[in-house]
Amino acid sequence: MREAIPTGVPYFGASLKEWIFTTDHKKIGILYLVTSILFFVVGGLFALGMRLELTSPGLQFWSPEFYNYLLTGHGAIMLLWWAIGAPTGGFGNFLLPLMIGARDVAFPRLNALSWWAYFGASVLVLITLIPGNHIKMMWTGYPPYALNNDAGNLALYVFIIHLLGVSSIAGAVNFLTTVIRMRAKGLSYWKLPIFVHSIITANVIQILGVPSLAGAVTMDLFDKYLGTAFFDPARGGDPLLYQHVFWFYSHPAVYVMLLPPVAIAGEVISAMAKNRFFGYKAYVIAQWGVVVLGFIVWTHHMFVTATADWLKIIQSITTMMITVPVGIIVLASTLTLFKGALKFNTATWFALGTIFMILPGGLTGIPNGMLGIDYGLSDSYWIAGHFHFVLAMIITFGIFAGLYYWFPKFTGRLAYSDGLGSLGFFVMFMGAMLIFGMQLIAGLHGMPRRYVDYPPIPELITAHHWMTVGAFIFALGVLITFINLILGMVKGEKADANPWGSPSLEWWTASPPAPHNFDKLPEVDEEWHPYNYKKA
Amino acid sequence: MAHEEVHHGHHEVSMWPVGVGLGALFGVLAFTAFFQWQMPFLAVIFGGLTVVCLLGGLAGWVNEFFTTGHDEKHGKIAIVFFVASEVIVFGTMFAAFWRAWVFNSHEWANWVPQEMNLLMPVILTLILWASSGAIVLAERAIEHGNVGAYNKWLLITIVLGTLFVILHVMEWIHLWESGFTLSSNMYGTAFYMLTGFHTSHVLVGLIAMLYLLWIGLSGKIDETKTTAVVATGFYWHFVDVVWMFVATNAYFVGSIPALAGGH
Repeated sequence: MREAIPTGVPYFGASLKEWIFTTDHKKIGILYLVTSILFFVVGGLFALGMRLELTSPGLQFWSPEFYNYLLTGHGAIMLLWWAIGAPTGGFGNFLLPLMIGARDVAFPRLNALSWWAYFGASVLVLITLIPGNHIKMMWTGYPPYALNNDAGNLALYVFIIHLLGVSSIAGAVNFLTTVIRMRAKGLSYWKLPIFVHSIITANVIQILGVPSLAGAVTMDLFDKYLGTAFFDPARGGDPLLYQHVFWFYSHPAVYVMLLPPVAIAGEVISAMAKNRFFGYKAYVIAQWGVVVLGFIVWTHHMFVTATADWLKIIQSITTMMITVPVGIIVLASTLTLFKGALKFNTATWFALGTIFMILPGGLTGIPNGMLGIDYGLSDSYWIAGHFHFVLAMIITFGIFAGLYYWFPKFTGRLAYSDGLGSLGFFVMFMGAMLIFGMQLIAGLHGMPRRYVDYPPIPELITAHHWMTVGAFIFALGVLITFINLILGMVKGEKADANPWGSPSLEWWTASPPAPHNFDKLPEVDEEWHPYNYKKA
Repeated sequence: MAHEEVHHGHHEVSMWPVGVGLGALFGVLAFTAFFQWQMPFLAVIFGGLTVVCLLGGLAGWVNEFFTTGHDEKHGKIAIVFFVASEVIVFGTMFAAFWRAWVFNSHEWANWVPQEMNLLMPVILTLILWASSGAIVLAERAIEHGNVGAYNKWLLITIVLGTLFVILHVMEWIHLWESGFTLSSNMYGTAFYMLTGFHTSHVLVGLIAMLYLLWIGLSGKIDETKTTAVVATGFYWHFVDVVWMFVATNAYFVGSIPALAGGH
């Protein structure tokens, strides 16, 4: 029952039936974005719930069991829905075919299935809200605890991972095939936008990594429900096996989450500075460096386990080496500003914020990568502060930078107010520095991760007070940003087809684009480059 | 080379991906209902919905592709990426097997059942090899537009694949009844997981081939729409190659005491 729908139908005027049965990459991208934003709010409320509890020592609001659910839910939702769903599923779907000058992805129906698998996982997460079905094994699902009934409904946790895995692998196969087979005439590999390169590299990680995570949680599932011996030492099993298989994906997954938002920031900086992308090729090679190194550092999540020393030492060194490609990416993004004429608007602020957050995030990661130091820092708030700067901040700022930058492309309108938008950014920025800066400090004072309570030590109480204050400031910034975006959708000025004057192909068509994207498929010549502002 | 004329001149909708997606959701809910919620009746309902949604959705999808779709020849490259991810899934099970085999060398030999039949993997390998050859002939036939020969060779492939599954299940039952089960020890776990995981892939291949046979018998296939056949063929060769690793490890490495380091 595939039907042709006349192309004149306005984009947002599409009927409910069209939205449900759509195979259009733009609509699917919007579905991903809306879903991930809704879950970002849910995950954020979980975090505020934890912050309320931790403001003072002792138990005030929640039972320890419910706190564990908040902790597990916050981690799983933010990582899997926000950090992977929005950049790859949302921006990737909407922009990738436009940026390579194609009419759709290679397999439009498979693309729809990706979203429906993601939808299925979302339903499972909502089921965990029902009392008795809370998942409390942490998003990592380590055995033997995860196999214990106190850890909650393991089946739901495992199937959330499985369905998201189906979604990710189907999406990755689709995107990679699309880039290989459907690029516009003249659009060679070295003319692809940085964001397309980030989607390629992120999806290579997905294809080689997600199955490993799926295998790990499947062992959990079988051990608990079917009595296999994977993690039972009495029958020859080994719980450490889980951590190896789990982190073999879940470390590279960090780069699935990071590369696209950082690339979004790069796109924004280049467009707003009207400047060539500094070290474009070095940036792309650095992305591949991150992919290769990313697969040989997983043991740094396991430095305090009884893993063989030789493996820990090797992976401590490879962990240090990651700073080289990441450094290239930061330098290239920053030097893109050099001799540019930067236009300061909300998208610019968020993009600069994205690149800035690599500093506190990356620099606090270096000591953790050193074996001896990590023995002292492991499982403390220092680690929580480190990975929130890296993951939470880079990704959230990157996504908001992209939302503001491509807002005209998505909606046909300019964002409502740059003043309100920038205010949203600075409020979020201050909130973030407070929360995660204080987490680093609390960690150095010996505050362990994940606990519902802590002893009444004055330094810890002060740090936790400020963390809670910071969390609510951050939430206010998010609220301002969402209000501004919603106002922009309703009341924003009509935008030109190419409001930023970018030569990149996604601006070669109307905003929002017609269902078939391009009236005539674009062709590019030798001179053309997505960042060649001289010619544009 | 990168430029392909694509044919999505209008916005298209399709209801079939929704069916398949919901089928997957109902499937995992069936498992959860049975094992976690302990509500077998609910599990049966979800299981029924799974079968209807999955098989119906796939049938509609396949039919839609062969009646109105265009073959853009993207399938071959996509299946290569998909198989790459499958290699990693199998890799996790091999990792579990090898880790247990190395760490338990002092007692592994005690875990090997007397009933382990080392002739069986050889027979099964020959069957799979024959089926891999048959599907190559089916592919060649359809590329020349010979639908009759295509149907014949595809049917032979399906029969051989089914024979593989039946013999394998009989072998499992035999071993299981002798006391060597999924939960006996890590050899049991790894043996049944490796072979069972492989057999699940054989079943997926068989289901794909049944759809292709249905399309062949209903005359909807021709030499311009061969990508699905080529992709299924590639997947089937992968299942064949993986079997050799599975058989070598699960049967031979696992059960020969000299290899297992037993005394």
